[in-house]
Amino acid sequence: MNQPKRSDEPIWWALFSAGGVCFAMVIPGLVLTLGLLYPLGLLPEAAFSYSRVQQLLQSFWGLAGLAFAGAAICLPLFHAMHRVHHGLHDLKLAKGPLAKVLCYGLASLLSAVAIVYSGIIA
Amino acid sequence: MEKTIIIQRYNPEQDQAPSAKRYQVPFDHSTSVLDALLYIQQQLDPTLAFRWSCRMAICGSCGVMVNKIPKLGCKTFLRDYPAELTISALDHFPIEKDLISDMAVFLDHLQAVKPYLINDSQNTEPHRQTPAQLKKYQKFSSCINCGLCYAACPQFGLNPEFLGPAAIVTAQRYNLDSRDQGKAQRMPQLNGKNGVWACTFVGFCADVCPKQLDPAAAVNQGKVASATDMLISIFKP
Repeated sequence: MNQPKRSDEPIWWALFSAGGVCFAMVIPGLVLTLGLLYPLGLLPEAAFSYSRVQQLLQSFWGLAGLAFAGAAICLPLFHAMHRVHHGLHDLKLAKGPLAKVLCYGLASLLSAVAIVYSGIIA
Repeated sequence: MEKTIIIQRYNPEQDQAPSAKRYQVPFDHSTSVLDALLYIQQQLDPTLAFRWSCRMAICGSCGVMVNKIPKLGCKTFLRDYPAELTISALDHFPIEKDLISDMAVFLDHLQAVKPYLINDSQNTEPHRQTPAQLKKYQKFSSCINCGLCYAACPQFGLNPEFLGPAAIVTAQRYNLDSRDQGKAQRMPQLNGKNGVWACTFVGFCADVCPKQLDPAAAVNQGKVASATDMLISIFKP
Protein backbone atom coordinates (compact mmCIF):
# COMPACT_ATOMS: atom_id res chain seq x y z
CA MET A 1 0.00 0.00 0.00
CA ASN A 2 1.57 3.30 -1.02
CA GLN A 3 1.78 6.25 1.33
CA PRO A 4 -1.46 8.27 1.40
CA LYS A 5 -1.60 12.07 1.36
CA ARG A 6 -2.03 13.76 4.73
CA SER A 7 -5.67 14.67 5.34
CA ASP A 8 -6.60 18.28 6.22
CA GLU A 9 -9.29 16.87 8.54
CA PRO A 10 -7.36 17.67 11.79
CA ILE A 11 -8.06 21.38 11.19
CA TRP A 12 -11.82 20.86 10.87
CA TRP A 13 -11.80 18.31 13.68
CA ALA A 14 -10.00 20.78 16.00
CA LEU A 15 -12.61 23.47 15.21
CA PHE A 16 -15.36 20.84 15.67
CA SER A 17 -13.94 19.84 19.07
CA ALA A 18 -13.57 23.45 20.23
CA GLY A 19 -17.11 24.15 19.03
CA GLY A 20 -18.37 21.11 20.91
CA VAL A 21 -16.92 22.47 24.14
CA CYS A 22 -18.64 25.82 23.48
CA PHE A 23 -21.93 24.07 22.72
CA ALA A 24 -21.68 22.20 26.01
CA MET A 25 -20.39 25.01 28.25
CA VAL A 26 -21.35 28.41 26.78
CA ILE A 27 -24.54 27.93 24.77
CA PRO A 28 -26.68 26.49 27.63
CA GLY A 29 -25.79 29.50 29.79
CA LEU A 30 -26.67 31.90 26.98
CA VAL A 31 -29.96 30.14 26.26
CA LEU A 32 -30.82 30.30 29.94
CA THR A 33 -29.98 33.98 30.40
CA LEU A 34 -30.78 35.54 27.01
CA GLY A 35 -33.44 33.07 25.89
CA LEU A 36 -35.38 32.42 29.09
CA LEU A 37 -34.54 34.47 32.21
CA TYR A 38 -34.23 37.86 30.48
CA PRO A 39 -37.41 37.61 28.34
CA LEU A 40 -39.32 36.41 31.40
CA GLY A 41 -38.22 39.54 33.23
CA LEU A 42 -36.39 37.58 35.93
CA LEU A 43 -33.17 39.57 35.44
CA PRO A 44 -32.70 43.30 36.20
CA GLU A 45 -33.43 45.34 33.07
CA ALA A 46 -30.43 47.61 33.65
CA ALA A 47 -27.95 44.72 33.54
CA PHE A 48 -28.73 44.23 29.85
CA SER A 49 -28.88 47.84 28.71
CA TYR A 50 -27.14 48.48 25.37
CA SER A 51 -24.47 50.72 26.83
CA ARG A 52 -23.65 48.27 29.62
CA VAL A 53 -23.37 45.28 27.28
CA GLN A 54 -21.28 47.39 24.88
CA GLN A 55 -18.98 48.37 27.73
CA LEU A 56 -18.67 44.73 28.74
CA LEU A 57 -17.74 43.62 25.21
CA GLN A 58 -15.21 46.48 24.90
CA SER A 59 -13.31 45.35 28.01
CA PHE A 60 -9.78 43.95 27.56
CA TRP A 61 -9.26 46.10 24.41
CA GLY A 62 -12.28 44.57 22.69
CA LEU A 63 -11.01 41.03 23.21
CA ALA A 64 -14.08 40.23 25.34
CA GLY A 65 -16.33 40.93 22.33
CA LEU A 66 -14.09 38.80 20.11
CA ALA A 67 -14.13 35.94 22.64
CA PHE A 68 -17.91 36.18 22.90
CA ALA A 69 -18.35 36.07 19.12
CA GLY A 70 -15.92 33.14 18.94
CA ALA A 71 -17.47 31.10 21.74
CA ALA A 72 -21.12 31.86 21.05
CA ILE A 73 -21.15 31.97 17.23
CA CYS A 74 -17.97 31.05 15.27
CA LEU A 75 -16.85 27.82 16.95
CA PRO A 76 -20.39 26.41 17.37
CA LEU A 77 -20.92 27.20 13.66
CA PHE A 78 -17.90 25.13 12.68
CA HIS A 79 -19.08 22.36 15.01
CA ALA A 80 -22.54 22.30 13.43
CA MET A 81 -21.29 22.49 9.83
CA HIS A 82 -18.81 19.66 10.51
CA ARG A 83 -21.75 17.50 11.56
CA VAL A 84 -23.75 18.58 8.51
CA HIS A 85 -20.79 17.80 6.24
CA HIS A 86 -20.32 14.29 7.65
CA GLY A 87 -24.08 13.78 7.72
CA LEU A 88 -24.20 14.53 3.98
CA HIS A 89 -21.45 11.93 3.47
CA ASP A 90 -23.45 9.37 5.45
CA LEU A 91 -26.51 10.08 3.29
CA LYS A 92 -24.30 9.63 0.19
CA LEU A 93 -25.07 13.21 -0.85
CA ALA A 94 -21.54 14.55 -0.56
CA LYS A 95 -19.31 13.30 -3.34
CA GLY A 96 -16.22 15.39 -3.99
CA PRO A 97 -15.12 18.67 -2.43
CA LEU A 98 -18.26 20.76 -3.12
CA ALA A 99 -20.05 19.84 0.14
CA LYS A 100 -16.90 20.58 2.11
CA VAL A 101 -16.42 24.00 0.48
CA LEU A 102 -20.10 24.88 1.02
CA CYS A 103 -20.21 23.69 4.67
CA TYR A 104 -16.97 25.22 5.92
CA GLY A 105 -17.34 28.19 3.55
CA LEU A 106 -20.69 29.07 5.11
CA ALA A 107 -19.24 28.65 8.63
CA SER A 108 -16.28 30.89 7.69
CA LEU A 109 -18.49 33.56 6.09
CA LEU A 110 -20.89 33.77 9.04
CA SER A 111 -17.93 33.72 11.47
CA ALA A 112 -16.32 36.62 9.62
CA VAL A 113 -19.60 38.57 9.78
CA ALA A 114 -19.88 37.86 13.52
CA ILE A 115 -16.31 38.96 14.21
CA VAL A 116 -16.53 42.10 12.07
CA TYR A 117 -19.85 42.99 13.68
CA SER A 118 -18.47 42.44 17.19
CA GLY A 119 -15.65 44.82 16.17
CA ILE A 120 -18.13 47.45 14.97
CA ILE A 121 -20.15 47.30 18.20
CA ALA A 122 -17.04 47.51 20.30
CA MET B 1 -36.73 -28.02 22.56
CA GLU B 2 -36.04 -26.74 19.07
CA LYS B 3 -35.38 -23.40 17.45
CA THR B 4 -35.65 -22.38 13.81
CA ILE B 5 -32.42 -21.16 12.28
CA ILE B 6 -32.73 -19.24 9.03
CA ILE B 7 -29.43 -19.23 7.19
CA GLN B 8 -28.55 -17.06 4.23
CA ARG B 9 -27.13 -19.51 1.67
CA TYR B 10 -25.11 -18.29 -1.29
CA ASN B 11 -22.74 -19.90 -3.74
CA PRO B 12 -21.52 -17.10 -6.03
CA GLU B 13 -20.51 -19.64 -8.69
CA GLN B 14 -24.01 -21.11 -9.02
CA ASP B 15 -26.61 -18.82 -7.45
CA GLN B 16 -27.99 -15.60 -8.91
CA ALA B 17 -28.62 -14.18 -5.45
CA PRO B 18 -28.44 -15.28 -1.79
CA SER B 19 -31.48 -17.21 -0.54
CA ALA B 20 -32.75 -18.08 2.93
CA LYS B 21 -33.00 -21.68 4.11
CA ARG B 22 -34.72 -22.84 7.33
CA TYR B 23 -33.44 -25.52 9.70
CA GLN B 24 -34.90 -26.96 12.93
CA VAL B 25 -32.19 -27.34 15.53
CA PRO B 26 -32.52 -28.91 19.02
CA PHE B 27 -30.93 -26.82 21.76
CA ASP B 28 -30.32 -26.64 25.49
CA HIS B 29 -28.92 -23.99 27.80
CA SER B 30 -25.37 -24.42 26.48
CA THR B 31 -25.99 -24.59 22.71
CA SER B 32 -24.03 -21.88 20.91
CA VAL B 33 -24.73 -20.60 17.40
CA LEU B 34 -21.58 -22.45 16.32
CA ASP B 35 -22.90 -25.70 17.87
CA ALA B 36 -26.12 -25.15 15.91
CA LEU B 37 -24.21 -24.63 12.66
CA LEU B 38 -22.18 -27.80 13.30
CA TYR B 39 -25.40 -29.71 13.99
CA ILE B 40 -26.90 -28.51 10.71
CA GLN B 41 -23.76 -29.40 8.77
CA GLN B 42 -23.37 -32.84 10.36
CA GLN B 43 -27.03 -33.90 10.62
CA LEU B 44 -29.11 -31.93 8.14
CA ASP B 45 -27.15 -30.41 5.28
CA PRO B 46 -23.46 -31.20 4.65
CA THR B 47 -23.24 -28.51 1.95
CA LEU B 48 -23.44 -25.65 4.49
CA ALA B 49 -20.14 -23.74 4.52
CA PHE B 50 -18.84 -21.74 7.50
CA ARG B 51 -15.51 -21.00 9.13
CA TRP B 52 -14.61 -22.01 12.67
CA SER B 53 -11.71 -23.29 14.74
CA CYS B 54 -11.22 -22.84 18.48
CA ARG B 55 -14.79 -22.71 19.91
CA MET B 56 -13.60 -20.40 22.72
CA ALA B 57 -13.52 -16.86 21.32
CA ILE B 58 -9.80 -16.70 20.73
CA CYS B 59 -9.28 -17.58 17.04
CA GLY B 60 -11.79 -15.08 15.65
CA SER B 61 -12.89 -17.34 12.77
CA CYS B 62 -16.60 -17.85 13.40
CA GLY B 63 -17.86 -14.27 12.97
CA VAL B 64 -21.37 -14.14 11.46
CA MET B 65 -24.35 -11.80 11.50
CA VAL B 66 -26.93 -13.08 14.01
CA ASN B 67 -30.19 -11.17 13.54
CA LYS B 68 -28.12 -8.59 11.62
CA ILE B 69 -25.70 -7.98 14.52
CA PRO B 70 -22.07 -9.13 14.12
CA LYS B 71 -21.34 -11.93 16.61
CA LEU B 72 -18.87 -14.72 17.24
CA GLY B 73 -20.81 -17.95 16.73
CA CYS B 74 -19.04 -19.63 19.65
CA LYS B 75 -19.83 -16.81 22.08
CA THR B 76 -23.51 -16.42 21.17
CA PHE B 77 -26.16 -18.74 22.60
CA LEU B 78 -29.51 -19.87 21.20
CA ARG B 79 -31.07 -19.46 24.67
CA ASP B 80 -30.78 -15.66 24.29
CA TYR B 81 -32.90 -15.55 21.12
CA PRO B 82 -36.61 -16.01 20.36
CA ALA B 83 -37.90 -19.07 18.50
CA GLU B 84 -36.32 -17.95 15.20
CA LEU B 85 -32.92 -16.49 14.44
CA THR B 86 -31.35 -15.41 11.19
CA ILE B 87 -27.70 -16.03 10.40
CA SER B 88 -25.79 -14.56 7.46
CA ALA B 89 -22.19 -13.85 6.45
CA LEU B 90 -20.46 -10.78 7.94
CA ASP B 91 -21.64 -7.51 6.39
CA HIS B 92 -19.36 -5.34 4.23
CA PHE B 93 -17.22 -8.24 2.98
CA PRO B 94 -17.65 -10.22 -0.25
CA ILE B 95 -19.15 -13.70 0.31
CA GLU B 96 -17.04 -16.69 -0.70
CA LYS B 97 -19.76 -19.21 0.12
CA ASP B 98 -22.69 -19.22 2.58
CA LEU B 99 -21.30 -17.86 5.88
CA ILE B 100 -17.69 -17.58 4.73
CA SER B 101 -16.70 -14.01 3.93
CA ASP B 102 -13.59 -12.91 2.07
CA MET B 103 -11.48 -11.04 4.66
CA ALA B 104 -8.71 -10.05 2.21
CA VAL B 105 -9.49 -6.30 2.38
CA PHE B 106 -9.20 -6.35 6.18
CA LEU B 107 -5.93 -8.28 6.06
CA ASP B 108 -4.51 -5.76 3.52
CA HIS B 109 -5.44 -2.91 5.83
CA LEU B 110 -3.95 -4.68 8.82
CA GLN B 111 -0.70 -5.25 6.94
CA ALA B 112 -0.56 -1.58 5.90
CA VAL B 113 -0.16 -0.41 9.52
CA LYS B 114 2.85 -2.74 10.14
CA PRO B 115 1.27 -4.72 13.01
CA TYR B 116 4.50 -5.83 14.68
CA LEU B 117 7.20 -4.40 16.96
CA ILE B 118 9.67 -2.26 15.03
CA ASN B 119 12.91 -1.83 16.95
CA ASP B 120 16.29 -1.66 15.26
CA SER B 121 18.42 -1.79 18.41
CA GLN B 122 20.76 -4.77 18.43
CA ASN B 123 20.49 -5.06 22.21
CA THR B 124 20.38 -8.68 23.35
CA GLU B 125 18.98 -7.70 26.76
CA PRO B 126 15.22 -8.14 27.29
CA HIS B 127 13.16 -4.97 26.76
CA ARG B 128 12.08 -4.01 30.26
CA GLN B 129 8.72 -2.36 30.73
CA THR B 130 7.04 -0.82 33.76
CA PRO B 131 3.42 -1.74 34.64
CA ALA B 132 2.42 1.82 33.68
CA GLN B 133 4.03 1.41 30.23
CA LEU B 134 2.29 -1.94 29.77
CA LYS B 135 -1.07 -0.49 30.76
CA LYS B 136 -0.93 2.09 27.94
CA TYR B 137 -1.37 -0.51 25.19
CA GLN B 138 -2.37 -3.76 26.95
CA LYS B 139 -6.10 -3.35 26.36
CA PHE B 140 -5.62 -2.88 22.61
CA SER B 141 -3.35 -5.93 22.38
CA SER B 142 -6.23 -8.38 22.89
CA CYS B 143 -7.63 -7.95 19.35
CA ILE B 144 -8.27 -11.34 17.75
CA ASN B 145 -8.81 -10.00 14.19
CA CYS B 146 -12.30 -11.47 13.94
CA GLY B 147 -13.53 -8.59 11.77
CA LEU B 148 -16.81 -8.04 13.67
CA CYS B 149 -15.95 -4.34 13.98
CA TYR B 150 -15.67 -4.07 10.17
CA ALA B 151 -19.11 -5.64 9.75
CA ALA B 152 -20.42 -3.15 12.33
CA CYS B 153 -18.75 -0.03 10.91
CA PRO B 154 -21.05 1.98 8.60
CA GLN B 155 -18.09 4.03 7.38
CA PHE B 156 -16.26 0.88 6.25
CA GLY B 157 -19.52 -0.11 4.54
CA LEU B 158 -19.57 3.19 2.64
CA ASN B 159 -15.85 3.24 1.92
CA PRO B 160 -13.93 -0.07 1.91
CA GLU B 161 -10.68 1.89 1.59
CA PHE B 162 -11.13 3.00 5.24
CA LEU B 163 -8.42 1.28 7.31
CA GLY B 164 -11.13 0.32 9.79
CA PRO B 165 -11.33 -0.23 13.56
CA ALA B 166 -9.12 -3.31 14.08
CA ALA B 167 -6.25 -2.05 11.91
CA ILE B 168 -6.25 1.30 13.74
CA VAL B 169 -6.49 -0.46 17.13
CA THR B 170 -3.45 -2.51 16.17
CA ALA B 171 -1.55 0.56 14.93
CA GLN B 172 -2.28 2.23 18.27
CA ARG B 173 -1.31 -0.93 20.15
CA TYR B 174 2.23 -0.75 18.69
CA ASN B 175 2.48 3.06 18.65
CA LEU B 176 1.78 3.14 22.40
CA ASP B 177 4.29 0.37 23.20
CA SER B 178 7.43 1.76 24.85
CA ARG B 179 9.55 -0.92 23.09
CA ASP B 180 8.41 0.15 19.64
CA GLN B 181 10.12 2.69 17.36
CA GLY B 182 7.87 2.37 14.32
CA LYS B 183 5.35 5.15 14.97
CA ALA B 184 6.81 7.38 12.22
CA GLN B 185 6.28 4.55 9.72
CA ARG B 186 2.68 3.96 10.81
CA MET B 187 1.46 7.55 11.12
CA PRO B 188 1.21 8.29 7.34
CA GLN B 189 -1.46 5.56 7.03
CA LEU B 190 -3.41 6.97 10.00
CA ASN B 191 -3.01 10.58 8.75
CA GLY B 192 -4.58 9.93 5.34
CA LYS B 193 -8.24 10.48 4.52
CA ASN B 194 -8.84 6.73 4.77
CA GLY B 195 -7.01 6.53 8.11
CA VAL B 196 -8.43 7.68 11.44
CA TRP B 197 -10.24 10.59 9.75
CA ALA B 198 -12.75 8.37 7.95
CA CYS B 199 -14.21 7.49 11.36
CA THR B 200 -17.24 9.52 12.51
CA PHE B 201 -17.32 7.99 16.01
CA VAL B 202 -20.45 5.91 15.52
CA GLY B 203 -19.09 3.58 18.19
CA PHE B 204 -20.88 0.40 17.09
CA CYS B 205 -17.44 -1.27 16.70
CA ALA B 206 -17.02 -0.99 20.48
CA ASP B 207 -20.48 -2.51 21.08
CA VAL B 208 -19.82 -5.63 19.01
CA CYS B 209 -16.16 -6.25 19.94
CA PRO B 210 -16.08 -9.73 21.56
CA LYS B 211 -12.96 -8.75 23.51
CA GLN B 212 -14.44 -5.43 24.77
CA LEU B 213 -11.27 -3.63 23.77
CA ASP B 214 -13.09 -0.44 22.75
CA PRO B 215 -11.87 0.10 19.17
CA ALA B 216 -13.76 3.42 19.04
CA ALA B 217 -11.55 4.77 21.84
CA ALA B 218 -8.42 3.59 20.02
CA VAL B 219 -9.51 5.31 16.80
CA ASN B 220 -10.23 8.54 18.65
CA GLN B 221 -6.88 8.41 20.45
CA GLY B 222 -5.50 7.94 16.94
CA LYS B 223 -7.21 11.19 15.89
CA VAL B 224 -5.46 13.06 18.70
CA ALA B 225 -2.16 11.43 17.67
CA SER B 226 -2.74 12.36 14.02
CA ALA B 227 -3.68 15.97 14.87
CA THR B 228 -0.55 16.25 17.04
CA ASP B 229 1.50 14.74 14.21
CA MET B 230 0.15 17.42 11.83
CA LEU B 231 0.94 20.22 14.29
CA ILE B 232 4.50 18.95 14.73
CA SER B 233 4.97 18.63 10.97
CA ILE B 234 3.99 22.31 10.55
CA PHE B 235 6.61 23.54 13.00
CA LYS B 236 9.35 21.08 12.05
CA PRO B 237 11.64 22.44 9.33
